[in-house]
This record gives sequence, structure tokens and C-alpha cells, in this order.
Amino acid sequence: MDPITLVLVLALSALSTILYIFIGILPGTDETATMAPIALTLLLAGVDPLLVLAWFMASIAAFKMADSIPVALAGIPGGVMAVPQVPDALVAKERGLADTILRKGIAASVVGQVVALAVTLSLSYYIMPAGEWLRTADVVLGVRVARWFWLVLAGLIVLALTSRSKFVALVSIPSLALLIQGLRSVYGKPIFISLFLGITIGPMIFELLSMLHRDLRQAFTRRGMKEVKLVKIGRISLNPVKILSKDELAHSTLWSAVTSVLATVMSPVGLTILIGDLLREGSRDRTRGAVLAYTVRDAIKNATYVGGTLVPLLVIGVPTGPMSAGPAGPFFQKLESLGMTPRDYIVKNYDYVTIAAALLLATGISFLIAYPILVKYSRKITLAVFRRIPAEALYGLFIAIVLMLSYYDARVPGIFGTLVVSLISGALWKLGVSLGVLFMTLVAAPTLVSLLSALPL
Amino acid sequence: MEEEVYYELYGEHISLGELAVSTAISTVFAMLFFHIAPQIAQLTGVQPGGLSITLGAIGATVGFAISSLITRVKRVVAEV
Repeated sequence: MDPITLVLVLALSALSTILYIFIGILPGTDETATMAPIALTLLLAGVDPLLVLAWFMASIAAFKMADSIPVALAGIPGGVMAVPQVPDALVAKERGLADTILRKGIAASVVGQVVALAVTLSLSYYIMPAGEWLRTADVVLGVRVARWFWLVLAGLIVLALTSRSKFVALVSIPSLALLIQGLRSVYGKPIFISLFLGITIGPMIFELLSMLHRDLRQAFTRRGMKEVKLVKIGRISLNPVKILSKDELAHSTLWSAVTSVLATVMSPVGLTILIGDLLREGSRDRTRGAVLAYTVRDAIKNATYVGGTLVPLLVIGVPTGPMSAGPAGPFFQKLESLGMTPRDYIVKNYDYVTIAAALLLATGISFLIAYPILVKYSRKITLAVFRRIPAEALYGLFIAIVLMLSYYDARVPGIFGTLVVSLISGALWKLGVSLGVLFMTLVAAPTLVSLLSALPL
Repeated sequence: MEEEVYYELYGEHISLGELAVSTAISTVFAMLFFHIAPQIAQLTGVQPGGLSITLGAIGATVGFAISSLITRVKRVVAEV
């Protein structure tokens, strides 16, 4: 790695860390809606994809470390991935253990990300030849189908079957694929950005438009300000080794390794719920079980985000799971300025050691900044963020970025295309279809529609 | 005194009017900066595509800063 790249990796990682500490602490900041548009903006702005990947890795480290802080202090999740930690935090807080779970969560995040990086970087290096085989195309019903498509389709069906509404999820796959390909044929080019952003902000747009409907508005109405109770915490040691018990360290390490690989095709939030619940239910002591579950969930959050991004990126070359098709989606789409996908650019222009070094550096710098800040000042930062940053300004910022990128993608029709896709996605999400199903349908849509059209029925 | 009516979005209490104003401010600044980028690119000799997105994002952030100043925070924090 040349010195300029090294300095840029360090600078962007530091900047990303500081930004995502605040975004992570803020309630209601959905990971996909906040991570993907910024990564996409940087890529479209012409920033080297390896630097954007370093930015992204640092944002995972900081965001996933910070989003559980309002859970520990106030019982409010800072992001979607922190929602499963709320019941554990409530049990711990009843016993006066808010500062215990706060420090354990932060330390477990470090363990999760480091273990996931070690496992996925080593594993990816050895299974890289499998990527070539997966990218080979076969002819099925007269349609050229890359072998990775079957992996995506299998993952899609599994995700649909684990959605809250299985039937709706299953039937939404071909329907949404047709909508996507239909819009693409109207535009006359294989656009991606506005469709991707449509799914990203679907839940928010659907809820906002529901608030404009007289009958639906009642369900959202609240009187007065939002009351937040912030608990006091004691002094916390800066030494992470002292924070986790042997049992917590062992579980965090084991489950981070396992889930980082499973996240290649499985949902990060699903894995966080599944493993955390298994650990909590497996403990005879309710408080001990809740603290263990809370801690390990924090490790899994980082591990699944790292593994779900890196295995598809380094080995397969296409998004095969909800993480790679969602928050990390911008790395897998062809950009006109590059003439290829950012993923291909990274793999073709940098050797494996440089990529690994950039990712490790980004993680290292992120933890060096975020860890002491969050351990020492988490309560002060949370107070400042809760008291000074209005939710409306933040939501307005992300909607504006989405509108600008949609316009960049397909001008005024791009904005309306985003609106159509966001409405359909939001409605399907409301009906119990996981967003992962929708993101993966976007990836599978061209082949899926070609195969549907070629069916002899 | 009767309490003001807000709407809950992602666990936050929001005012639709203030959200509309914040979104409008950020969007206007984003699009304004996005559209002046080609002129700046011509003057400086850089790629207009990348600069448009960069300036657009900066514009949206300027809008966020202005919105933050004129929008009231709807959280009451009690330290227990």
C-alpha cells in the first residue's frame, strides 16, 4: 500500500467513525438507509472503491458499537440491529446493571469485528477458486444463468420462509422482479441506484404517506414530547480484557466466527435474534442469561455485517445475502465512471494483502477512536445527541440525498421510480416481508424474469 | 394547556410540517449544489459527475445544519 493510500484509509476511517458514532446513538437510524446512500455517494463522487470499503468497515465498527448505547442507557435502540437487545437491557436495568451491559456491549463489538475479520479474510483466501466456478454461466431454458443465481434463489426462498409473512414473501419475489424489470425497460437502461434507494427508504416513505391518510393517521398520533429516561452509570475501566468474563468471551468469539460465515446468505438481524435467544433461554439465571445474550448479540451484530459483506465481495463477486444486497449493495453494482462494479475494481487493482491491510487498518483506527470515546463519554454524547439533534432534520437529510441520487440515476422519472418502489417495498415490509427478500429480489430480477418468460407454460 | 400532537416514526415523535420544511431545505440545497457543479468543474477542470454528487451531498448537509437550528427537538430527557 502506497503512503498516500495509507493516509487516506486512516483519514476516511477516522471521519467515518466520528460520523457513525453520532448516527449510531441517534434513535431510528436504520442501517441500510444511513450506510448505503453515503457509501454510494462516495463511490459516485469518484472516491477509490478501496477507500470507500475502508470507510464502510469503519462505519460498521462505530455504528454497531454505538447503536446499543441508547439501549443500555434508555431502552431505546439506536438502529434496527439493536432492537433484539432491548428486552435483555430491560432485565439488566431492573437489576441496576446498566453500566455493566454498556461496557460489555462495547467490548463484545470489538471481539465480534476482529474475529469476523480474521475468519472471513482467512476463509475467503482459501475458497476464492470457488468464486470462478460460481460465476460460470449455464444455459437453462435457453437463458444464460450464472451458477451464483441458484445460491441467491435458495437464499431468497429461505429468507422468504423465515419472514413474518411467508406466503406474501414468496409471492412478492416474482411480482417485485417483474416491477423492477418493467421499470428498467421503461427507462431503457439497467438502472440500479433509484430502485435500490426505493427499497432502502421504503418503510419510512410508507409510514410517512400513511400519516397523510385520515384513517391511518390515528395509529401514529402521539401527544407531547417523547420522554426519555437516561440512567446514571459509574466509572468504567478502559481495559477491554477486564470487561468480559471467560464465558462471555468464549461465546462472543465462537458465535462471531460462525455467524460471520452464515451471514453470506442469512439475515444479520435474524442471526442476532436466533443466537441471542438461544443463549438467554439456555441460562437458568434470568439476569445472567440476559447479560450474556445482550453481550453476544453485540458481537454478532459486528460479525454478521463484516462477514455478510466480505465473503460475497472477495469470493463470489455478487451479493448473495441481505447484507451484501442491502447496506453493502453499492459495491456490487456497475458504475459508469469505473466501467465495472466497485467490487471488481478492488479485486482487479489491489492484491489480497493490500485489501486485508486496508480493512484491518480501518477497523483498528475505528476502534482506537470509538472505544475510548464511547467508554468514557457515552452518557454525555447520548445526552447531547438526544437534546440537540432533531429527528426531522436527520430524516430530511437522508430523504434529500435519496432524491438527489435518484435524479442523478434517471432524472425526474428516477425520482418517481424511487417513489413507486418505496411504496411497494414499504407495503410489503408492513405486511411482514423482510427487507432482505426485497434487496435480493433486486439482484435476482434480470435472471428470474428471463426464466419466468422462458417457462413452457 | 393541551399537549401538541406529533406522529411517531421509528420511535421518534415528529412534526410533519417541520419534517416537510427540513426535507425541502436539504433538497433545495442538495439540488442547487448538484446543478452548479458542472460550472465549477469547467472552471477547475475536474470530472463533473463525481463533483455533482460531492457538492450535492455537501448541499444536503448544509440543509441539515440549517434545519437543526430551526427545528425543535421533541425529546425530554430525564436523568434517573
